[in-house]
Amino acid sequence: MRIVVVGKGGSGKTTTAAVVARTLARGGTPVIALDGDTNANLGISLGIGLDATEALVSLRERLDLGEAEHADDVDALLDRFGSEAPDGVRLAVATRVQAPEPGCPCCGLSIEQLLTQLQATGHTVVADLEAGIGTLTRLRPGGIDTALVVVEPTPRSIEVGLRVTGLAREKGATRVIVVANQVGGAEDVAAVRRAIDTDEVIGVPYDDAIVRADRAGTSPLDDAADGPAVRALVELAGMLSPSGVR
Amino acid sequence: MLRLAFVGKGGAGKSSIVGAFSRLLARRTGEAVLVLDSDPMPGLAFSLGVEPDDAGPPEEAVEPGPEGGPRYVLRPDWRPDRLVERAAVHAPDGVRLLQLGKSTGGGLTQPALHAYQQVIDALVPGSAPSMSQELDVRLGSSTPLHRWHAIGDLPGGTRQPFMGWGRFADTFLVVVEPSAKSVLAARRLAHLATGWSHGREFTVQAVANKVRDDADAGWIAERTRLEVIAAVPWDAQLSDADRSGRTPLDAVPDSRAIAAVDSLVARMLQRQEEPA
Repeated sequence: MRIVVVGKGGSGKTTTAAVVARTLARGGTPVIALDGDTNANLGISLGIGLDATEALVSLRERLDLGEAEHADDVDALLDRFGSEAPDGVRLAVATRVQAPEPGCPCCGLSIEQLLTQLQATGHTVVADLEAGIGTLTRLRPGGIDTALVVVEPTPRSIEVGLRVTGLAREKGATRVIVVANQVGGAEDVAAVRRAIDTDEVIGVPYDDAIVRADRAGTSPLDDAADGPAVRALVELAGMLSPSGVR
Repeated sequence: MLRLAFVGKGGAGKSSIVGAFSRLLARRTGEAVLVLDSDPMPGLAFSLGVEPDDAGPPEEAVEPGPEGGPRYVLRPDWRPDRLVERAAVHAPDGVRLLQLGKSTGGGLTQPALHAYQQVIDALVPGSAPSMSQELDVRLGSSTPLHRWHAIGDLPGGTRQPFMGWGRFADTFLVVVEPSAKSVLAARRLAHLATGWSHGREFTVQAVANKVRDDADAGWIAERTRLEVIAAVPWDAQLSDADRSGRTPLDAVPDSRAIAAVDSLVARMLQRQEEPA
Protein backbone atom coordinates (compact mmCIF):
# COMPACT_ATOMS: atom_id res chain seq x y z
CA MET A 1 0.00 0.00 0.00
CA ARG A 2 1.27 3.44 -0.88
CA ILE A 3 -0.13 6.09 1.46
CA VAL A 4 0.71 9.77 0.96
CA VAL A 5 0.05 12.45 3.54
CA VAL A 6 -0.52 15.90 2.07
CA GLY A 7 -1.73 19.33 3.11
CA LYS A 8 -0.78 22.90 3.91
CA GLY A 9 2.44 23.45 5.86
CA GLY A 10 1.84 23.49 9.60
CA SER A 11 -1.48 21.62 9.37
CA GLY A 12 -0.16 18.50 11.11
CA LYS A 13 0.66 16.18 8.23
CA THR A 14 4.03 15.10 9.64
CA THR A 15 2.50 14.27 13.01
CA THR A 16 -0.27 12.37 11.23
CA ALA A 17 2.17 10.44 9.03
CA ALA A 18 4.33 9.45 12.01
CA VAL A 19 1.52 8.24 14.26
CA VAL A 20 -0.13 6.31 11.40
CA ALA A 21 3.21 4.73 10.43
CA ARG A 22 4.06 3.55 13.92
CA THR A 23 0.53 2.36 14.66
CA LEU A 24 0.39 0.27 11.47
CA ALA A 25 3.78 -1.16 12.39
CA ARG A 26 2.58 -2.04 15.89
CA GLY A 27 -0.21 -4.00 14.25
CA GLY A 28 2.30 -6.13 12.39
CA THR A 29 2.49 -4.33 9.04
CA PRO A 30 6.06 -3.72 7.84
CA VAL A 31 6.29 0.05 7.30
CA ILE A 32 8.65 2.43 5.57
CA ALA A 33 8.12 6.07 6.52
CA LEU A 34 9.31 8.23 3.64
CA ASP A 35 10.14 11.88 4.20
CA GLY A 36 9.88 13.84 0.96
CA ASP A 37 9.52 17.25 2.55
CA THR A 38 12.09 20.00 2.13
CA ASN A 39 11.69 20.62 5.85
CA ALA A 40 12.46 17.01 6.60
CA ASN A 41 11.31 16.56 10.17
CA LEU A 42 9.38 13.27 10.06
CA GLY A 43 12.14 11.80 12.24
CA ILE A 44 11.19 14.14 15.08
CA SER A 45 7.54 13.04 14.99
CA LEU A 46 8.58 9.39 14.77
CA GLY A 47 10.66 9.83 17.90
CA ILE A 48 14.27 9.54 16.77
CA GLY A 49 15.12 12.99 18.16
CA LEU A 50 16.18 16.38 16.75
CA ASP A 51 19.88 15.57 16.42
CA ALA A 52 19.40 12.30 14.53
CA THR A 53 16.83 13.99 12.28
CA GLU A 54 19.17 16.89 11.60
CA ALA A 55 21.98 14.46 10.72
CA LEU A 56 19.81 12.93 7.97
CA VAL A 57 18.92 16.37 6.60
CA SER A 58 22.55 17.38 6.64
CA LEU A 59 23.46 14.23 4.73
CA ARG A 60 20.99 15.08 1.94
CA GLU A 61 22.49 18.55 1.73
CA ARG A 62 25.98 17.09 1.40
CA LEU A 63 24.66 14.81 -1.32
CA ASP A 64 23.44 17.92 -3.10
CA LEU A 65 26.90 19.44 -2.85
CA GLY A 66 28.54 16.30 -4.19
CA GLU A 67 30.08 15.56 -0.83
CA ALA A 68 28.24 12.31 -0.12
CA GLU A 69 27.90 9.01 -1.91
CA HIS A 70 24.74 8.21 -3.82
CA ALA A 71 22.86 5.00 -3.07
CA ASP A 72 23.01 2.32 -5.80
CA ASP A 73 19.68 0.78 -5.06
CA VAL A 74 16.64 1.05 -2.84
CA ASP A 75 18.17 -1.04 -0.06
CA ALA A 76 21.18 1.25 0.03
CA LEU A 77 18.83 4.26 0.10
CA LEU A 78 17.05 2.82 3.11
CA ASP A 79 20.34 2.07 4.76
CA ARG A 80 22.33 5.19 4.06
CA PHE A 81 19.63 7.87 4.01
CA GLY A 82 17.52 6.26 6.63
CA SER A 83 17.27 5.28 10.21
CA GLU A 84 15.59 2.79 12.46
CA ALA A 85 12.64 4.38 14.19
CA PRO A 86 10.51 3.11 17.07
CA ASP A 87 8.10 0.18 16.55
CA GLY A 88 10.29 -1.19 13.76
CA VAL A 89 9.45 1.57 11.30
CA ARG A 90 12.22 2.30 8.82
CA LEU A 91 12.59 6.02 8.09
CA ALA A 92 13.99 7.05 4.69
CA VAL A 93 14.72 10.64 3.76
CA ALA A 94 14.36 11.45 0.07
CA THR A 95 14.16 15.23 -0.14
CA ARG A 96 14.66 16.59 -3.63
CA VAL A 97 18.14 17.68 -4.60
CA GLN A 98 19.09 20.50 -6.94
CA ALA A 99 20.89 18.30 -9.47
CA PRO A 100 19.38 14.81 -9.45
CA GLU A 101 20.99 12.01 -11.46
CA PRO A 102 18.28 10.58 -13.69
CA GLY A 103 17.39 7.06 -12.59
CA CYS A 104 19.43 7.25 -9.40
CA PRO A 105 17.45 5.44 -6.68
CA CYS A 106 18.33 7.98 -4.02
CA CYS A 107 17.74 11.22 -5.88
CA GLY A 108 16.65 10.73 -9.47
CA LEU A 109 13.40 8.81 -9.21
CA SER A 110 10.01 10.43 -9.43
CA ILE A 111 7.90 10.13 -6.29
CA GLU A 112 5.68 7.45 -7.82
CA GLN A 113 8.70 5.43 -8.96
CA LEU A 114 10.16 5.64 -5.49
CA LEU A 115 6.89 4.70 -3.81
CA THR A 116 6.45 1.73 -6.12
CA GLN A 117 10.00 0.49 -5.63
CA LEU A 118 9.73 0.82 -1.87
CA GLN A 119 6.40 -1.01 -1.90
CA ALA A 120 8.04 -3.79 -3.90
CA THR A 121 10.22 -4.54 -0.89
CA GLY A 122 7.05 -5.77 0.81
CA HIS A 123 6.47 -2.73 2.98
CA THR A 124 3.55 -0.38 3.33
CA VAL A 125 4.89 3.08 2.55
CA VAL A 126 3.66 6.13 4.44
CA ALA A 127 5.03 9.19 2.65
CA ASP A 128 5.13 12.68 4.15
CA LEU A 129 5.20 14.83 1.05
CA GLU A 130 6.17 18.44 0.46
CA ALA A 131 3.78 20.88 2.08
CA GLY A 132 1.22 22.18 -0.38
CA ILE A 133 0.46 20.80 -3.74
CA GLY A 134 3.66 20.74 -5.78
CA THR A 135 4.56 17.08 -5.48
CA LEU A 136 1.04 15.89 -6.19
CA THR A 137 0.95 18.06 -9.28
CA ARG A 138 3.98 16.26 -10.66
CA LEU A 139 2.76 12.78 -9.75
CA ARG A 140 1.85 10.42 -12.59
CA PRO A 141 -1.66 9.00 -12.26
CA GLY A 142 -1.74 5.63 -10.56
CA GLY A 143 1.24 6.40 -8.39
CA ILE A 144 -0.56 6.27 -5.05
CA ASP A 145 -3.28 4.20 -3.40
CA THR A 146 -4.45 6.27 -0.47
CA ALA A 147 -4.19 9.99 0.19
CA LEU A 148 -4.59 11.44 3.67
CA VAL A 149 -5.40 15.12 3.19
CA VAL A 150 -4.71 17.00 6.40
CA VAL A 151 -6.77 20.12 6.89
CA GLU A 152 -7.25 22.55 9.76
CA PRO A 153 -10.71 24.04 10.16
CA THR A 154 -9.62 27.48 8.89
CA PRO A 155 -10.52 29.10 5.56
CA ARG A 156 -6.89 29.14 4.43
CA SER A 157 -6.29 25.50 5.21
CA ILE A 158 -9.61 24.35 3.79
CA GLU A 159 -8.81 26.25 0.59
CA VAL A 160 -5.63 24.24 0.20
CA GLY A 161 -7.35 21.00 1.27
CA LEU A 162 -10.02 21.42 -1.35
CA ARG A 163 -7.45 21.75 -4.12
CA VAL A 164 -5.37 18.89 -2.80
CA THR A 165 -8.35 16.52 -2.53
CA GLY A 166 -9.37 17.19 -6.11
CA LEU A 167 -5.86 16.66 -7.32
CA ALA A 168 -5.41 13.39 -5.40
CA ARG A 169 -8.53 12.01 -7.09
CA GLU A 170 -7.32 13.12 -10.50
CA LYS A 171 -4.11 11.25 -9.85
CA GLY A 172 -6.02 8.05 -9.27
CA ALA A 173 -5.94 7.66 -5.49
CA THR A 174 -8.49 4.90 -4.79
CA ARG A 175 -9.09 6.26 -1.35
CA VAL A 176 -8.99 9.87 -0.17
CA ILE A 177 -9.48 10.49 3.54
CA VAL A 178 -9.68 14.05 4.83
CA VAL A 179 -8.13 14.43 8.26
CA ALA A 180 -9.69 17.46 9.93
CA ASN A 181 -6.95 18.32 12.39
CA GLN A 182 -6.94 20.47 15.53
CA VAL A 183 -10.72 20.62 15.58
CA GLY A 184 -12.48 22.27 18.47
CA GLY A 185 -15.67 20.25 18.14
CA ALA A 186 -18.31 18.74 15.86
CA GLU A 187 -19.00 22.07 14.15
CA ASP A 188 -15.39 22.29 12.94
CA VAL A 189 -15.61 18.82 11.41
CA ALA A 190 -18.94 19.77 9.83
CA ALA A 191 -17.38 22.87 8.30
CA VAL A 192 -14.71 20.72 6.67
CA ARG A 193 -17.31 18.23 5.41
CA ARG A 194 -19.36 21.02 3.88
CA ALA A 195 -16.39 22.47 2.06
CA ILE A 196 -14.73 19.31 0.80
CA ASP A 197 -16.75 16.72 -1.03
CA THR A 198 -15.41 13.38 0.14
CA ASP A 199 -16.72 10.12 1.62
CA GLU A 200 -14.36 9.84 4.53
CA VAL A 201 -13.58 12.60 7.01
CA ILE A 202 -12.01 11.95 10.38
CA GLY A 203 -11.75 14.63 13.08
CA VAL A 204 -8.62 14.88 15.21
CA PRO A 205 -9.22 17.12 18.25
CA TYR A 206 -6.98 20.00 19.29
CA ASP A 207 -4.80 18.53 22.00
CA ASP A 208 -2.44 20.48 24.25
CA ALA A 209 -0.40 17.34 24.76
CA ILE A 210 0.51 17.37 21.06
CA VAL A 211 1.64 20.99 21.34
CA ARG A 212 3.84 20.04 24.30
CA ALA A 213 5.33 17.07 22.44
CA ASP A 214 6.00 19.37 19.47
CA ARG A 215 7.85 21.83 21.65
CA ALA A 216 9.90 19.10 23.23
CA GLY A 217 10.64 17.44 19.89
CA THR A 218 9.30 14.05 20.93
CA SER A 219 6.80 11.74 19.28
CA PRO A 220 3.17 12.20 20.33
CA LEU A 221 2.93 8.41 20.54
CA ASP A 222 5.49 8.50 23.32
CA ASP A 223 4.47 11.68 25.14
CA ALA A 224 0.80 12.21 24.35
CA ALA A 225 -0.42 8.66 23.88
CA ASP A 226 -3.45 8.97 26.15
CA GLY A 227 -4.70 12.15 24.61
CA PRO A 228 -7.68 12.50 22.25
CA ALA A 229 -5.54 13.43 19.22
CA VAL A 230 -3.41 10.29 19.31
CA ARG A 231 -6.51 8.18 19.95
CA ALA A 232 -8.12 9.62 16.81
CA LEU A 233 -4.97 9.04 14.74
CA VAL A 234 -4.78 5.44 15.97
CA GLU A 235 -8.37 5.04 14.80
CA LEU A 236 -7.35 6.44 11.42
CA ALA A 237 -4.57 3.85 11.18
CA GLY A 238 -7.20 1.22 11.93
CA MET A 239 -9.18 2.41 8.91
CA LEU A 240 -6.12 1.84 6.76
CA SER A 241 -4.79 -1.39 8.12
CA PRO A 242 -5.15 -4.41 5.88
CA SER A 243 -5.82 -6.60 8.89
CA GLY A 244 -7.47 -4.24 11.36
CA VAL A 245 -5.21 -2.66 13.96
CA ARG A 246 -5.67 -2.43 17.71
CA MET B 1 14.72 51.30 1.59
CA LEU B 2 14.13 47.99 3.32
CA ARG B 3 15.00 44.81 1.41
CA LEU B 4 13.64 42.14 3.69
CA ALA B 5 12.72 38.48 3.18
CA PHE B 6 10.73 36.49 5.71
CA VAL B 7 11.58 32.79 5.65
CA GLY B 8 10.91 29.76 7.81
CA LYS B 9 8.97 26.53 8.16
CA GLY B 10 5.38 26.55 6.99
CA GLY B 11 2.85 27.14 9.73
CA ALA B 12 5.21 29.28 11.83
CA GLY B 13 3.17 32.37 11.02
CA LYS B 14 5.21 34.05 8.32
CA SER B 15 2.31 35.21 6.18
CA SER B 16 0.44 36.62 9.18
CA ILE B 17 3.50 38.63 10.16
CA VAL B 18 4.34 39.78 6.63
CA GLY B 19 0.82 41.06 5.99
CA ALA B 20 0.72 43.17 9.14
CA PHE B 21 4.36 44.27 8.85
CA SER B 22 3.96 45.58 5.31
CA ARG B 23 0.90 47.68 6.07
CA LEU B 24 2.37 49.04 9.30
CA LEU B 25 5.55 49.94 7.40
CA ALA B 26 3.51 51.84 4.80
CA ARG B 27 1.60 53.66 7.55
CA ARG B 28 4.76 54.66 9.42
CA THR B 29 6.73 55.90 6.44
CA GLY B 30 4.15 56.98 3.88
CA GLU B 31 6.48 55.38 1.34
CA ALA B 32 5.91 52.78 -1.38
CA VAL B 33 5.83 49.22 -0.05
CA LEU B 34 5.95 46.25 -2.38
CA VAL B 35 5.18 42.80 -1.02
CA LEU B 36 6.51 39.83 -2.97
CA ASP B 37 4.57 36.63 -2.41
CA SER B 38 6.64 33.69 -3.59
CA ASP B 39 4.43 30.99 -2.13
CA PRO B 40 2.58 28.84 -4.67
CA MET B 41 -0.12 28.27 -2.04
CA PRO B 42 -2.61 31.00 -1.10
CA GLY B 43 -2.18 32.63 2.31
CA LEU B 44 -0.72 36.12 2.27
CA ALA B 45 -3.85 37.63 0.76
CA PHE B 46 -5.78 36.85 3.96
CA SER B 47 -3.22 38.66 6.11
CA LEU B 48 -3.05 41.71 3.89
CA GLY B 49 -6.76 42.05 3.49
CA VAL B 50 -7.17 41.45 -0.23
CA GLU B 51 -9.25 38.91 -2.09
CA PRO B 52 -7.28 35.75 -2.83
CA ASP B 53 -6.46 35.58 -6.52
CA ASP B 54 -4.51 32.88 -8.25
CA ALA B 55 -3.05 35.00 -11.00
CA GLY B 56 0.65 35.69 -11.24
CA PRO B 57 2.31 38.24 -13.47
CA PRO B 58 0.50 38.25 -16.83
CA GLU B 59 2.02 36.16 -19.60
CA GLU B 60 1.86 39.12 -21.96
CA ALA B 61 4.53 40.77 -19.83
CA VAL B 62 7.22 38.55 -21.33
CA GLU B 63 8.46 37.53 -24.73
CA PRO B 64 10.92 34.80 -25.73
CA GLY B 65 14.48 35.77 -24.93
CA PRO B 66 17.43 36.00 -27.28
CA GLU B 67 19.29 32.93 -28.54
CA GLY B 68 21.56 31.62 -25.82
CA GLY B 69 20.00 33.93 -23.26
CA PRO B 70 17.16 33.59 -20.77
CA ARG B 71 14.09 31.78 -22.01
CA TYR B 72 11.82 34.74 -21.42
CA VAL B 73 12.51 38.43 -20.96
CA LEU B 74 10.24 41.26 -19.96
CA ARG B 75 8.77 43.25 -22.85
CA PRO B 76 9.87 46.88 -23.08
CA ASP B 77 6.54 48.23 -21.87
CA TRP B 78 6.52 45.74 -19.00
CA ARG B 79 9.82 46.73 -17.40
CA PRO B 80 9.87 45.78 -13.72
CA ASP B 81 8.59 49.09 -12.36
CA ARG B 82 5.84 49.18 -15.00
CA LEU B 83 4.95 45.56 -14.29
CA VAL B 84 4.52 46.43 -10.63
CA GLU B 85 2.39 49.42 -11.55
CA ARG B 86 0.21 47.43 -13.95
CA ALA B 87 -0.01 43.99 -12.37
CA ALA B 88 0.49 44.36 -8.62
CA VAL B 89 -2.65 43.98 -6.52
CA HIS B 90 -3.73 47.01 -4.48
CA ALA B 91 -3.76 46.21 -0.77
CA PRO B 92 -4.89 48.55 2.03
CA ASP B 93 -2.62 51.36 3.24
CA GLY B 94 -1.19 51.78 -0.25
CA VAL B 95 0.72 48.51 -0.17
CA ARG B 96 1.16 46.70 -3.48
CA LEU B 97 1.28 42.91 -3.71
CA LEU B 98 3.06 41.13 -6.51
CA GLN B 99 2.58 37.42 -6.35
CA LEU B 100 3.96 34.36 -7.96
CA GLY B 101 0.96 32.62 -9.44
CA LYS B 102 -0.76 30.00 -7.33
CA SER B 103 -0.10 26.50 -8.54
CA THR B 104 -3.66 25.25 -8.80
CA GLY B 105 -5.11 28.34 -10.35
CA GLY B 106 -3.06 27.79 -13.45
CA GLY B 107 -1.02 30.83 -12.45
CA LEU B 108 2.29 29.08 -12.10
CA THR B 109 3.47 29.05 -15.69
CA GLN B 110 7.00 29.39 -17.04
CA PRO B 111 6.43 32.89 -18.45
CA ALA B 112 4.94 34.06 -15.16
CA LEU B 113 7.84 32.56 -13.21
CA HIS B 114 10.36 34.35 -15.38
CA ALA B 115 8.52 37.66 -15.14
CA TYR B 116 8.36 37.38 -11.36
CA GLN B 117 12.03 36.49 -11.07
CA GLN B 118 13.03 39.44 -13.21
CA VAL B 119 11.23 41.87 -10.94
CA ILE B 120 13.13 40.34 -8.04
CA ASP B 121 16.41 40.63 -9.91
CA ALA B 122 15.69 44.26 -10.67
CA LEU B 123 15.35 44.94 -6.95
CA VAL B 124 18.91 43.83 -6.25
CA PRO B 125 20.89 46.93 -5.32
CA GLY B 126 23.11 47.99 -8.15
CA SER B 127 20.61 47.03 -10.83
CA ALA B 128 20.85 50.36 -12.53
CA PRO B 129 17.61 52.07 -13.46
CA SER B 130 17.28 52.49 -17.17
CA MET B 131 17.15 55.81 -18.96
CA SER B 132 13.45 55.34 -19.66
CA GLN B 133 12.81 54.61 -15.97
CA GLU B 134 14.48 57.89 -15.06
CA LEU B 135 12.23 59.61 -17.58
CA ASP B 136 9.19 57.97 -16.07
CA VAL B 137 10.16 59.25 -12.64
CA ARG B 138 10.40 62.78 -13.92
CA LEU B 139 7.08 62.42 -15.69
CA GLY B 140 5.64 60.94 -12.49
CA SER B 141 4.27 57.88 -14.23
CA SER B 142 5.71 55.16 -12.00
CA THR B 143 7.82 54.74 -8.90
CA PRO B 144 11.23 53.36 -9.78
CA LEU B 145 12.02 50.10 -8.04
CA HIS B 146 14.84 51.47 -5.94
CA ARG B 147 12.31 53.71 -4.20
CA TRP B 148 10.13 50.85 -3.03
CA HIS B 149 10.52 49.02 0.25
CA ALA B 150 10.49 45.34 -0.74
CA ILE B 151 9.19 42.72 1.69
CA GLY B 152 9.22 39.08 0.61
CA ASP B 153 7.17 36.19 1.91
CA LEU B 154 9.09 33.11 0.83
CA PRO B 155 7.65 29.59 0.89
CA GLY B 156 8.26 27.32 3.82
CA GLY B 157 11.01 25.11 2.45
CA THR B 158 14.64 25.66 3.25
CA ARG B 159 15.85 25.24 -0.29
CA GLN B 160 18.13 28.09 -1.18
CA PRO B 161 15.99 31.10 -0.43
CA PHE B 162 19.08 33.22 -0.66
CA MET B 163 19.18 32.70 -4.37
CA GLY B 164 16.18 32.95 -6.63
CA TRP B 165 13.25 34.54 -4.86
CA GLY B 166 15.29 35.97 -2.01
CA ARG B 167 18.03 37.54 -4.12
CA PHE B 168 16.77 41.04 -3.56
CA ALA B 169 17.08 40.87 0.23
CA ASP B 170 19.82 42.20 2.46
CA THR B 171 18.12 40.82 5.54
CA PHE B 172 16.49 37.42 6.07
CA LEU B 173 14.19 37.14 9.02
CA VAL B 174 13.55 33.53 9.96
CA VAL B 175 10.19 33.16 11.66
CA VAL B 176 10.56 30.50 14.34
CA GLU B 177 7.96 29.14 16.72
CA PRO B 178 8.94 27.32 19.90
CA SER B 179 8.97 23.80 18.47
CA ALA B 180 11.77 21.43 17.59
CA LYS B 181 10.65 21.27 13.95
CA SER B 182 10.65 25.01 13.54
CA VAL B 183 14.08 25.22 15.17
CA LEU B 184 15.40 22.52 12.85
CA ALA B 185 14.26 24.44 9.78
CA ALA B 186 15.83 27.62 11.14
CA ARG B 187 19.11 25.88 11.81
CA ARG B 188 19.27 24.57 8.27
CA LEU B 189 18.62 28.06 6.93
CA ALA B 190 21.30 29.57 9.14
CA HIS B 191 23.69 26.85 8.01
CA LEU B 192 22.89 27.44 4.34
CA ALA B 193 23.51 31.14 4.87
CA THR B 194 27.02 30.64 6.17
CA GLY B 195 27.91 28.66 3.08
CA TRP B 196 26.34 31.13 0.72
CA SER B 197 27.92 34.09 -0.95
CA HIS B 198 26.52 35.92 -3.89
CA GLY B 199 28.91 38.77 -3.55
CA ARG B 200 26.65 40.71 -1.24
CA GLU B 201 26.48 41.15 2.48
CA PHE B 202 23.32 39.92 4.10
CA THR B 203 22.08 39.30 7.61
CA VAL B 204 20.08 36.36 8.93
CA GLN B 205 18.19 36.89 12.15
CA ALA B 206 15.23 35.30 13.88
CA VAL B 207 11.78 36.50 14.79
CA ALA B 208 10.39 34.33 17.55
CA ASN B 209 6.66 33.85 17.03
CA LYS B 210 3.87 32.52 19.24
CA VAL B 211 6.09 32.76 22.31
CA ARG B 212 4.35 32.06 25.60
CA ASP B 213 6.94 33.39 28.00
CA ASP B 214 10.38 35.01 28.17
CA ALA B 215 12.09 31.65 28.23
CA ASP B 216 10.77 30.77 24.76
CA ALA B 217 12.68 33.53 22.95
CA GLY B 218 15.86 32.59 24.79
CA TRP B 219 15.32 28.91 23.96
CA ILE B 220 14.92 29.77 20.30
CA ALA B 221 18.07 31.93 20.31
CA GLU B 222 20.04 29.16 21.95
CA ARG B 223 18.78 26.31 19.74
CA THR B 224 19.02 28.21 16.43
CA ARG B 225 22.18 30.15 17.30
CA LEU B 226 20.54 33.14 15.61
CA GLU B 227 20.02 36.58 17.09
CA VAL B 228 16.34 36.93 17.98
CA ILE B 229 15.45 40.51 17.10
CA ALA B 230 11.76 40.34 17.95
CA ALA B 231 9.53 38.11 20.02
CA VAL B 232 5.89 38.10 18.92
CA PRO B 233 3.74 36.70 21.70
CA TRP B 234 1.24 33.91 21.38
CA ASP B 235 -1.99 35.85 21.01
CA ALA B 236 -5.40 34.21 21.16
CA GLN B 237 -7.03 37.23 19.49
CA LEU B 238 -4.73 37.05 16.49
CA SER B 239 -5.02 33.29 16.30
CA ASP B 240 -8.82 33.52 16.30
CA ALA B 241 -8.82 36.19 13.61
CA ASP B 242 -6.43 34.17 11.48
CA ARG B 243 -8.37 30.96 11.85
CA SER B 244 -11.66 32.58 10.96
CA GLY B 245 -10.21 34.21 7.86
CA ARG B 246 -10.28 37.79 9.15
CA THR B 247 -7.33 40.10 8.55
CA PRO B 248 -5.64 40.46 11.97
CA LEU B 249 -4.53 44.07 11.48
CA ASP B 250 -8.15 45.08 10.78
CA ALA B 251 -9.88 42.73 13.18
CA VAL B 252 -7.64 43.02 16.25
CA PRO B 253 -5.44 46.09 15.73
CA ASP B 254 -4.77 46.52 19.44
CA SER B 255 -3.65 42.96 20.04
CA ARG B 256 -0.26 42.25 21.65
CA ALA B 257 0.96 40.42 18.58
CA ILE B 258 0.21 43.36 16.28
CA ALA B 259 1.98 45.69 18.72
CA ALA B 260 5.03 43.45 18.60
CA VAL B 261 5.05 43.47 14.79
CA ASP B 262 4.80 47.27 14.87
CA SER B 263 7.86 47.39 17.14
CA LEU B 264 9.67 45.19 14.66
CA VAL B 265 8.86 47.69 11.89
CA ALA B 266 10.25 50.50 14.01
CA ARG B 267 13.35 48.51 14.76
CA MET B 268 14.04 47.65 11.13
CA LEU B 269 13.62 51.31 10.11
CA GLN B 270 15.88 52.48 12.91
CA ARG B 271 18.53 49.97 11.89
CA GLN B 272 18.41 51.36 8.39
CA GLU B 273 19.22 54.82 9.75
CA GLU B 274 22.22 53.64 11.73
CA PRO B 275 25.63 54.05 10.15
CA ALA B 276 26.90 50.75 8.73
